Amino acid sequence: MEWWIKLKSSKLFWVGVILLAWIAATNVFYGKSSTELSTLTNTPMSDWFSLGMEYIRNNRYTNPVFVYVINPIRSFVEIFVDVIRFVISSPSGSNVIPLVGWLGTLSVVGYLVYATSRLRFAILAMALLLGCGVLGMWMFTMDTLAMTLGAVLLSLAIGLPIGIWAGLSDRVMNAIRPILDLAQILPTLVYLAPLALVFLIGVAAATVATMIYSIPIAVRITAHAIRSLRTGPLEAAESMGSTRIQTLKKVQLPMAKRTIILGVNQTTLAALSFVVIAALIGAPGLGLPVIDSLMIRDVGGGFLAGGAVVLLAIMLDRSTSAAVEFSDSSDFLDEKAKSRRRMGLIIGGVSTIAAIFVSRNMLWAAVFPNQLDVSEPVSEWISSAALWVTDTFSFFTVGFYEAFTVSVLNPLESGLTGAPWFVTVIAVTIFAVLVGGFRVSIVALIMMLLIFSTGLWFDTMVTLSQVLVAGVVVLVIGVVLGVFTGRSERFAQFIRPFLDAGQTLPAFVYLIPVLALFGPTRFAAIVCGIFYASPIVIRIVADGVRGVSTNMMEAATSMGSSRFQSIYKVQLPASKRSVLLGANQGLIFILAVIVIGAYVGAGGLGYLVIAGLSKPEIQGKGIAAGVAIVALGVVLDRIAHAAAHREPKRLSVSKS
Amino acid sequence: MKLTTRNRFAVTVASAAAAGLVLAGCSSDVNDTAATTEAATTEATTEESVAPAEVAMADCGDWTIAMHGWVGYTASAQVLAEVAKSDLGCNITQTKLDEAAVTYDAMEAGSADVIVEDWGGGRWQDWIDRGAIVDVGSNGNVGLIGMYVPAWMVDEYPDIIDGTKLNDYVDLFKTPESGNKGAWYEGPPGYTTVGQKIIDSYGLDYKAINVGSEQALLDLFEKGQADKKPVLGYFWEPNYFLAKIDMVRVNFPANDWTDAAVASGKTDYPALDLEKLISSKLADSGSPFATLVTNFTWTNADQNSVALDIEDGMTPEEAAQKWIAANPDVVAGWMS
Repeated sequence: MEWWIKLKSSKLFWVGVILLAWIAATNVFYGKSSTELSTLTNTPMSDWFSLGMEYIRNNRYTNPVFVYVINPIRSFVEIFVDVIRFVISSPSGSNVIPLVGWLGTLSVVGYLVYATSRLRFAILAMALLLGCGVLGMWMFTMDTLAMTLGAVLLSLAIGLPIGIWAGLSDRVMNAIRPILDLAQILPTLVYLAPLALVFLIGVAAATVATMIYSIPIAVRITAHAIRSLRTGPLEAAESMGSTRIQTLKKVQLPMAKRTIILGVNQTTLAALSFVVIAALIGAPGLGLPVIDSLMIRDVGGGFLAGGAVVLLAIMLDRSTSAAVEFSDSSDFLDEKAKSRRRMGLIIGGVSTIAAIFVSRNMLWAAVFPNQLDVSEPVSEWISSAALWVTDTFSFFTVGFYEAFTVSVLNPLESGLTGAPWFVTVIAVTIFAVLVGGFRVSIVALIMMLLIFSTGLWFDTMVTLSQVLVAGVVVLVIGVVLGVFTGRSERFAQFIRPFLDAGQTLPAFVYLIPVLALFGPTRFAAIVCGIFYASPIVIRIVADGVRGVSTNMMEAATSMGSSRFQSIYKVQLPASKRSVLLGANQGLIFILAVIVIGAYVGAGGLGYLVIAGLSKPEIQGKGIAAGVAIVALGVVLDRIAHAAAHREPKRLSVSKS
Repeated sequence: MKLTTRNRFAVTVASAAAAGLVLAGCSSDVNDTAATTEAATTEATTEESVAPAEVAMADCGDWTIAMHGWVGYTASAQVLAEVAKSDLGCNITQTKLDEAAVTYDAMEAGSADVIVEDWGGGRWQDWIDRGAIVDVGSNGNVGLIGMYVPAWMVDEYPDIIDGTKLNDYVDLFKTPESGNKGAWYEGPPGYTTVGQKIIDSYGLDYKAINVGSEQALLDLFEKGQADKKPVLGYFWEPNYFLAKIDMVRVNFPANDWTDAAVASGKTDYPALDLEKLISSKLADSGSPFATLVTNFTWTNADQNSVALDIEDGMTPEEAAQKWIAANPDVVAGWMS
């Protein structure tokens, strides 16, 4: 009975057993202990939240916490960002145009990039920014730039000190790590409503929301920088006889500077990626045209706004990365190059000042000229192209959507929602033990009980069904394309721009064309999740596949395995850890998008969050739904994370 | 001096600072010249608008109109804004905000001042009690929300307009999204909706599906009428769309509520006088804008015509100005 022994020890087997047991139990006990609740009915927990919100409403101007802490913070943040906007975009008020017109802003950006790297990056940055204007999005871009700048500065002001502290003290790092983890897996939609309640819709709430997302990144990178300075390099420098000052100047500062600039890079991108969602709570900028386009189903408009976001993201990314790259190589230039650069900086400085001057006096240099604006023809062309695609392929898309929904999604959803909650909880807990270990299963159990106590189990299962479907598809796509990308350099080059664009486009922008193709359905939300999460999974899997040592690959081929065999038997198992890591990241991304999908008919928890934002009678329910989403995210994240880290990094040679 | 990295950075900062000081001191602000030209306002109008400097009638002030998410609202708000800007010299900002609590909170905080069309039927009472908002009366439009079906269905199934009989027609409305139940397309989350309550109270075998936006509902109804597909969806008057596509309202027992939060679900939506709300800041200011808002009134037909123009491709500003030019007597009546 050797096969039986082998089977018994295989995890996959037991997972299958649990699944079968769950299906059986569901069929027997279907509909019993149903937790289905009408949308407009409240639960005890949501009532409790409602009371809290009522209290905040009534005491916003009298409660000392608000008067002395929250309201001043709100004013400060608002003024801080508005000052920046005053300079480059026009804030609400009596100004028609900002302090510095478009030509001036363009020149300043170019000069700054030139001064921190090389001329070609400055030209690239200006071209990309110009592109935003050409798409008709200049003012929105400037607003977004101002918001991002404000959020980044504030995030760094808070994140840097905390990061330094955490870098110096292990205890602090361990204490704040769970908070950092949580902030990064929170789907953005969840903390919008509470923030809007506390800080009121507007620039302040949007900036604070962005900061919640980007401070953890600043903290992490700074802590890492400080940490890596504490040991190796310091000892090496000291052992070679350098003084404290020398060590500081020649070793610590350069290394720290490079990492800190990297931190600025990552924080900036994180803040920018928040741009569109933040429009839901009053952030000015590119988010507004994106959401507008979604509401009026304007594919062309959505393309213009989304395109501007991508261009801006690429500009900020390349410019800050270039700054990292050239932060320590400038000292190695030869004399001729140095004096050429000196000349260049002076000329550049003078031209920039001139450009600012011109932009304050000439209208054509102040307001982005209409002649350069190609937004209308581009938008119309894209919209008609989209219409053509929808019409031509409608038979296929509608047919596919219906078949898929009826045969896959509906059964899964009714299974998950019909199963008694405790059956599912038990099944998932056992699954967590098998796959991730005992500690993770405790976390999962607590989270699931939390979900149940919100009274929103039914809606959670609706959302979960969509997440699982999307997750399976993303995993398949991620593995297949990831293997291709990892094995073939040419394919990697080909796919790279798609992956880049996929990671910078805000999730909302995906909704617009998908909505046109599939209508307002859960399927549309799932497709969006697939598009949004695939790039990161592909990247991680490709990374893992590439990491499989060439020795191993050569050994496999020399033993006569075909290409398929070497993929299936060697590369995939060795990169199993990467696959699981990719699945982890993918699931979090998918959860975020599925929640947003409520805007187009996905229902579930996302709908409750959105409805709670605008219906006073279920605002508490919206917050409770947010809690459920977070709990669900933690369950998925922790299980996948633990599963990934239990895999051995390398395929051990002794086992077969 | 040797241009090391550090020095280079210092030079950059110093030049920028010097430049800033020079500019602040010397140059004239093109803001003044730009304020009188139209070119400046074309791109800025989605976020804000500005009154021409010449027609500066003193003391109107800076006010914010909350913009809600349906075309009819945009029509009313834009007409109000255009009159305020050109006839009163006010400085009007239009900010996108969700209905109900979100906007009431903003008005309480001072970041919004006017709601030109509220369907809430009194849900703002708490804010009035706190002295944050003032109800300045109806805007002349009468709103009626309801569930609608394409006209062809009424020909084939005459009693489908009796909402209590909807269980007889569940099979017609089944879709993959609604599974074994009929699809009941509900209004977007920000809108006043009691569909779920109606479904629950009558035990209707329907699933309320939220399609997310006015546009999505329009698409459904267009397809429904064109392809002869059964559609049961949320819609409302005043709406220009009802003139374009033939739709018939489904009726429930006579209405007995105005605030959706207390609706039982047994009765139909109310025929509501749509109210205008202003912040107490505006009400106490004595600005001519407050008078304008209080006097603003027009008919459903008026709103529909402007909304139709917007849908057909005019910008809201153009559509509003067209109506204003065609109805000077009505506008004059608001000024007194």
